[in-house]
Amino acid sequence: MRSASDTTSRSTFDRVLLGARVVALAVVAVLVLTFPSTASDPFILSVGVVIASYAALAVSWNFVGGFTGYISLGHAAYSGLGGYATALFITRADLDPWVALFVGALVVAVLAVPIGIASLRVRGASFVIVSIALVLILLLVAQSWASLTGGAQGLRVPRPFGEDVLRPEQHERFFFIHVAFISVALLLWWAIDRSRFGMGLKAIREDEDKAQALGVPTGAYKLTVFVISAFMTATAGGLYALWFGYLDPIFQFSILIGSYMVLMSLLGGIRSLFGPVLGAVVVGYSLEFFKVHYGDSQFHLVALGLLLALVVLFMPDGVLPAIGSLVERFRPDKRTSIREMTAEELLEHNERVETARAGDAPPRERDLATVPSNQEER
Amino acid sequence: MSGSLLLQTLILGILLGGLYALLAAGLTLYFGVMRVVMIAHSAFLILAAYLAWFFHRETGLDPLLSLVVTVPLFFGVGYLMQRGLISRLRPATLTMMSVLLTFAIALTIEGLLGFFFSGTQRRINLGYSGSSIEILGAHIAVVKLIAFGLAAAALIGLFVLLKVTRFGQALRATIQHPEAARLLGINTDRIAGFGFGLGLATAAIGGTALALDSTIYPSLHWHWIGPLMAIIVVGGLGSIPGAAIAALLLGVGQSLLQIPMGTTWAQTVFYVALFATLLVRPQGFFGGRLAQRF
Amino acid sequence: MTETATPGAGTDETFVPSLATRGLTKSFGGVRAIDGADVTFHKGRINALIGPNGSGKTTFFNCVTGMIKPDAGTVTLEGRDITAKPPHRIAAAGIGRSFQLCRIFPRLTVLENMLVGVRSPSVLHRLAGSRNDADIEKARELLRRVGIDHLEQSEARDISYGQQKLLELAGVLMVDPETIMLDEPAGGVNPALIGRIGTLVRELNAEGRTFVIVEHNMDMVMSLSDHVVVFDRGRPIAEGPPSVVQHDPRVLEAYLGV
Repeated sequence: MRSASDTTSRSTFDRVLLGARVVALAVVAVLVLTFPSTASDPFILSVGVVIASYAALAVSWNFVGGFTGYISLGHAAYSGLGGYATALFITRADLDPWVALFVGALVVAVLAVPIGIASLRVRGASFVIVSIALVLILLLVAQSWASLTGGAQGLRVPRPFGEDVLRPEQHERFFFIHVAFISVALLLWWAIDRSRFGMGLKAIREDEDKAQALGVPTGAYKLTVFVISAFMTATAGGLYALWFGYLDPIFQFSILIGSYMVLMSLLGGIRSLFGPVLGAVVVGYSLEFFKVHYGDSQFHLVALGLLLALVVLFMPDGVLPAIGSLVERFRPDKRTSIREMTAEELLEHNERVETARAGDAPPRERDLATVPSNQEER
Repeated sequence: MSGSLLLQTLILGILLGGLYALLAAGLTLYFGVMRVVMIAHSAFLILAAYLAWFFHRETGLDPLLSLVVTVPLFFGVGYLMQRGLISRLRPATLTMMSVLLTFAIALTIEGLLGFFFSGTQRRINLGYSGSSIEILGAHIAVVKLIAFGLAAAALIGLFVLLKVTRFGQALRATIQHPEAARLLGINTDRIAGFGFGLGLATAAIGGTALALDSTIYPSLHWHWIGPLMAIIVVGGLGSIPGAAIAALLLGVGQSLLQIPMGTTWAQTVFYVALFATLLVRPQGFFGGRLAQRF
Repeated sequence: MTETATPGAGTDETFVPSLATRGLTKSFGGVRAIDGADVTFHKGRINALIGPNGSGKTTFFNCVTGMIKPDAGTVTLEGRDITAKPPHRIAAAGIGRSFQLCRIFPRLTVLENMLVGVRSPSVLHRLAGSRNDADIEKARELLRRVGIDHLEQSEARDISYGQQKLLELAGVLMVDPETIMLDEPAGGVNPALIGRIGTLVRELNAEGRTFVIVEHNMDMVMSLSDHVVVFDRGRPIAEGPPSVVQHDPRVLEAYLGV
């Protein structure tokens, strides 16, 4: 099969790759953890929280988008619901803010069950339409049901940390809380990715009918990951509510926020673990940059639109997978397809086939397009 | 509810439904030729409305005259968009990616509109803006009638084009069976481009009709895309008659519900219909054989 | 017409029914794709389903495997009713199928394609890692059997169509199916591969697996199958061993319109 030297050089490459990944992760971790101390002023710190919030949302979105391939453009429905649920549980039910956060997210997860059952009956673009419809209808309801949500006036969310905790300190705490949340979410994503459940989900993404034919219970799997995603997204929305302190229907149930989640995950790499985080950092930073420099003009919409269009047209797999394939080019002795066999290897291979056939083993014809075969006797 | 109020509401619903029907027909065209869900359709609608308003503001002429420019312009843009952008997408993920791409286009248009015209709400004021006609006790605004007339004329024109002309025949063939159409010598790529152009042309007409009577602002398109999407799903994706029927029904429904529930809540009728359709009959109710299911 | 083989129809008077349908009906719009089909396939044999284009074979396939809900009629597997069950339950019942235009998971590797079919007895099993040694060894064994184990790390979309066909077949075997339904396995592949697939089918049949094969390639059907069912206009019109069916005048009429 493979010569001993091939095996060694291959694993050397893998070991180097692993080492590089560990180092990169360590560097990122250090940068993230020291960010609050190195931030020059509270505004920068607050931008950091905003970006962390985007990352939390994108990672939560990617449970559905990355695993099942179902693109939800209206996922802000769940972050919006999470925000309002958290706020209402604090103001109406007098719950401790952190308990309210958890309970709120749980309520949203429960709501996501019937919503998911209805939405997941359709696929592809119909599903996108449904997700948009959901967030639009929630927007209408939130605007109209003023007695519950404060309508267009908005809803004040009491701060979880006492009044005596200063703004910068609040930003720093929320920054770390968001980082902790993202870490947990990534861990969960990784666990699902390597599990059989995850395998089934990915099969659904690639070919749902085929997955069914192989015994994957697609309905149950889709709904499960959908509810998980709703829970995580709602928590991220609740965290934002606690930090920002004020909820407005137009921002909470915004298709724009939903599109950020999609763009960030697509840009970074929808099928990769850290893709959404990378996308959130890039897009989030750019958005804040535009808001600072171009203010109220709607230019950031144009930039967002163009960026999304470019990603869709030229880099639909995202940045991280692109880097991944680039790195793979340097892998020594790749034996991925028969096309790469040299003439000597082919001869060697044919000999092996002949010897195998001479024995009891069933003939193993590797690639019938290139290996001369003897016609099977009927 | 008094009889005349009911009649008025009904008529208004039908007038609104006519406009919805034209716009939904356009949306169906994109889907039919290329399986593309064109989220930017309503953004182009608003763009056309802005152009009509701009035209009126700069020239003082009736905004309907702007159609002379906007219809061919939009047709051309639609053709270029299909040939230059949509056809670049990989066939395997076409539907999904086209949603994202057209979404991006919608964002860009909204951003540009806000950039050039600012977020201030705009409204056209014409000599006949305030006048209304009385029919059997019901007061119907003249602008709404004109808008309906425009939409109806466009729909009839579309119908004639599709059924009678050779181009329409080629377009229908391409929609129903692209491979067979190609075997018959039809240049399906070009036809797809024309289909797209046609769709955007309907947006131009619809937008101008809209501008006569509504207050417009850059983010208005979000108010339209939801109902339009709901209409084509309820009607049956890919079926123009289905979309027209659903549009009329939902338009009337919305109108009737406005009285007890108010404008905002009345809009929910679209979404309720959408979810009901998905639960009961995901391929839509009125599409017949033409309806697709994703 | 299909309870047992008609006398004189051939050598297989005695058989155990495996997959069977009674009165299966399905219409699309105004078209009756399947029209009250009564079919019984023989357990442990290689059954073939043939018929001219448009006779309803693939619709029949899809109804049996749960992809489409029939309008009327029943589908049973050794007496057990499996009508209109969702596809994954059909798979769990021991029926594996391939698709007419070979379907694999394009962006998953060949090995990952195989791992999808691993059967999970419990929720805990589903949460466990997918890359455990037992599953991988089983997958590799099957890949070796069909001859594409060297492509293990390739993405399925990068391998040739013939290799994809073999992958699809190997993948179906991962669910340990007692009954295997193949939809045009010889479609679009070169003669050498057709031969290879035929050999595999025979080997697997010798291990006790029942086959139901929809096929247009008459040489393959006639040489491979024990029992042939001929479809025309949505229902079976003839049934029996290949040698008999071949000469049945109704079959000739269906194909040639004579």
